[in-house]
Amino acid sequence: MSPSFGRGAMTNSWSDLKNSEVFLIAGSNCAENHPIAMKWINRAKEKGAKIIVVDPRFTRTAAKADIFAQIRPGTDIAYLGAIINYILNQKLYDEKYVLNYTNALLKISKDYKLDDGIFSGYNEKTRKYATTSWAYQLGPDNKPLKAESLEDPDCVFAKLKVHYSRYTFATAENISGIPAAKIKEIAEVFCQGKPGSILYALGMTQHTTGVQGIRAYAIIQLLLGNIGKAGGGINALRGEPNVQGSTDMANLVSNLPGYLPYPINTDKTLQDYLVRNGSFYEKHLVALLKAWYGANATKENDYGFNYLPKTNPSVNATMVKIFEMMNKGQFKLLFNVGSNSLVSIPDRKLVRSGLAKLDMLVVSDLFEIETAQFWREPGVNPADIKTEVIMFPAAFVYEKAGSMSNSSRWIQWKEAAIKPLGESKPDLDLLDHLFKKIRKLYEGSTDVKDAPILKARWDYGEGEPSALKVLQELSGYDETTGKLLPTIGDYLKAPIGTASTGCWIYAGVTGNGNLAARRKNDDPTGLGLFREWSFAWPGNVRILYNRASCDEAGRPVDAKRQLIWWDSAAKVWAGNDGADVVDKTKGPDTPEGKQSFRMNPEGVGRLFAATYMSGLPVAPPTDGLPPIGIRPGGLCVDGPLPEYYEPTESPSTNILHPKVSISPVALVVSTQLGKSEEYPHVLTTYGVVEHFCAGGITRNIPWLNEIMPEPFAEISKNLGEKIGVKEGDMVEVASARGKITVRALVTDRLQTYKVNGKDTETIGMPWSWGFASLSPGPSTNDLTIAALDPGAGTPEYKVCLVNIRRA
Amino acid sequence: MDVSRRNFLKLSGLSIAALAAGLGFDPAVAEAKGYVLKLEGSKKIPSICHFCSGGCGMLLYVKDGKLIHLEGDPDHPTNEGTLCPKAASLLSVANSPDRVIRPRRRAPGANHWEDISWEEALDIVAKKTKEVRDASWKAADEIVNAKTGLPESFLVNRAEGIAFLGSAEVDNEESYLISKFSRLIGTPYNEHQARI
Repeated sequence: MSPSFGRGAMTNSWSDLKNSEVFLIAGSNCAENHPIAMKWINRAKEKGAKIIVVDPRFTRTAAKADIFAQIRPGTDIAYLGAIINYILNQKLYDEKYVLNYTNALLKISKDYKLDDGIFSGYNEKTRKYATTSWAYQLGPDNKPLKAESLEDPDCVFAKLKVHYSRYTFATAENISGIPAAKIKEIAEVFCQGKPGSILYALGMTQHTTGVQGIRAYAIIQLLLGNIGKAGGGINALRGEPNVQGSTDMANLVSNLPGYLPYPINTDKTLQDYLVRNGSFYEKHLVALLKAWYGANATKENDYGFNYLPKTNPSVNATMVKIFEMMNKGQFKLLFNVGSNSLVSIPDRKLVRSGLAKLDMLVVSDLFEIETAQFWREPGVNPADIKTEVIMFPAAFVYEKAGSMSNSSRWIQWKEAAIKPLGESKPDLDLLDHLFKKIRKLYEGSTDVKDAPILKARWDYGEGEPSALKVLQELSGYDETTGKLLPTIGDYLKAPIGTASTGCWIYAGVTGNGNLAARRKNDDPTGLGLFREWSFAWPGNVRILYNRASCDEAGRPVDAKRQLIWWDSAAKVWAGNDGADVVDKTKGPDTPEGKQSFRMNPEGVGRLFAATYMSGLPVAPPTDGLPPIGIRPGGLCVDGPLPEYYEPTESPSTNILHPKVSISPVALVVSTQLGKSEEYPHVLTTYGVVEHFCAGGITRNIPWLNEIMPEPFAEISKNLGEKIGVKEGDMVEVASARGKITVRALVTDRLQTYKVNGKDTETIGMPWSWGFASLSPGPSTNDLTIAALDPGAGTPEYKVCLVNIRRA
Repeated sequence: MDVSRRNFLKLSGLSIAALAAGLGFDPAVAEAKGYVLKLEGSKKIPSICHFCSGGCGMLLYVKDGKLIHLEGDPDHPTNEGTLCPKAASLLSVANSPDRVIRPRRRAPGANHWEDISWEEALDIVAKKTKEVRDASWKAADEIVNAKTGLPESFLVNRAEGIAFLGSAEVDNEESYLISKFSRLIGTPYNEHQARI
């Protein structure tokens, strides 16, 4: 979503779902995995909203649908491409929105092309793209040239038309297995309802083309004018209690907190960093450095920029790749706090062998998860494993004070309700005590390498650290007075170097008391905004990009669902929601007031993810240094427009371009790959309502184990008949990487379908089990493939090839 | 008066004598009374569910420092008092006999855990962190300058031997300190399950 809209977050909120007229739920079984979504979807349905569900299985969510389509896993871009094509051909797009709030009119470089499945700029050796030809044509002012009309063959809109003209309903049917008439029906129904909401979860992201699938959603929603509006949006149903927060806090190799690009080895100075990333980030990075190094971050020492460890951009160290690096012996010490990789990583033997190469594994968790006791997995001889393991007992959510950010970006605070069990402690204590001990070991060192530890600001109290103090660090201080900055506006106004914040998008959360702890549940508009319940980033905006809910003059286009408006008397953006605008005092007739997507360099939504840095000076700087722009557009490393590629292991070749069947830039980590002759069926993995992710908690809760005791393989009645298996029989499911034996669930929920005329079967398996806990069971990730989306690093859990037989 | 078998059993526990006397009171009232007794004197503390990203509100009933009951928070605007089966089961985590309740160490090659103190555990990990950090320190990357063809040295400050897998399961404040801790000790290799 970030390359399309400028922020990688769910655009609307749970309670906003009731405002929709139509839903496309594809890549999410929210009835089981996000039950709370269904409550609000049902409210919309009661008022007449239509529900469309596209899924490989007839799920519990599908049971509520007006239209259901069974899709071959991993083929979403094919049918979504056909919908885009239909919208363009039938002129079903919102023309005013497209002209004013998207980059449809901007002209693309003449060097850009797509040839037989390969975009311009491809390097066969590195299997990477150079993105220079995906740029705009620039005028003498370094701004993109704007076409006179949507008919101009150079403009984004024309490129879109050409690109998706190949995606007919018939082609989409051959690829996806969804009948052409059904795809047309989906397109018609979704385009008719306004506002329309798209919901997705891991079903859409866990592919080698995951990012591009979401880009296809973005294109549809921008064309239909559904972004920035109550009841619209693209609602990414995030998978874990604080996955929004942990992403904001950047437990990610590619970012620093608040989505700041991570510094790389060639960034010798802050200046170099800004040349690459734009001046927009200067304030936020300096504020972060002030939060981390306090008075030791000064203008003279580049605010401590060189205390930061820099990455080598030629090394991809995303989650699964970390285990690959571990297998090569790079890491000697691994901290593992609150995750269970031995169950959750695809082709999981990679984890077992990797952990055995460590000197020490440090785990903090509630229960003795599989990862903590990898050295005694059945079949492993503990004597052979030389890794020392230290396990800390963690406190549970209600045993500690702190905040979590839900999918709606609500930062919600809770106090500790009870004391931690036994000697368990919050991870906050673990990190605080550990850092202080490490710092003590380095005390007195004058070695430059130890300066980042010794010069750090780390002050969360003596004894037990205070979570509120940490949240206040995120909220931000005026460093000249040591006082909390009241609001994000005060932070933005403060001169560079005078303010600190650990995560600038959280600025203001504790500026006027702890706003995350607010519990006023009034909803005066009835739109489900709840603006005085907790605090939503950024600046308590509840519906992102809500400037796009108004016309050019700043008047709401939907009278029933008014979010914000330009108050011409008071000369301010006012409304029911906080205005997502550059400056609340800049009206719709100013360049700032026109920007609907202020986080993008063009100020508009990006149908085409073009290479572009805004604000580059026309004349080279007089100091001889390289010019610094303001902000770059988010790029997709695998192309500026979504193109259909087959999954890494697929029962079919790509009928659009057989020579380039799979993504030419996908990262394949698994070394054992299967072919459809030997492994003819498609395996897709999923979750069930009774268990959560890798099961570290839920498999230790007796009630839940009683309801859902073991994993299974879900197969169609046709396949059951073919292999002579009845409901409840044991079956062996095998991929090129492993095999496991589970019970068969023979069901109508899966049907045989046709791919390019050939009968094809999908097998569905939940994945939450492992060898430990109260309820052990085989791990489905023995079978899955470690093949990653090249941009996001997300593995293709949702598709691999398997065979199945009676056990 | 409709007395089901279940209610009858409850009633029999309450007052056999009353039953013998032909009931003499309304069982519905008696049942409500039993419920009140369970929660009487407990403190209601709001919290947040720890499963999907719904962020549903929970109400915790705490008595004598123990969690005795858990239900959906009726004031919470997202779930309005409802909870899914997973959330409703979270009561059992507070007193689960299967929780790990003290630090433990598994020695290299050993087939069992041994309990250790927090102090010992922290000391072991702090020392190991220093040892691996010092041994795997990479001060600079050498990169060939495309123009001159000569290698150039760039300061990188990396502890190459340490990785930190953080979490979408912990609070914001903890997640932030994971981020900060990792980068302060010199490892950019900080990832977590949001990636997958």
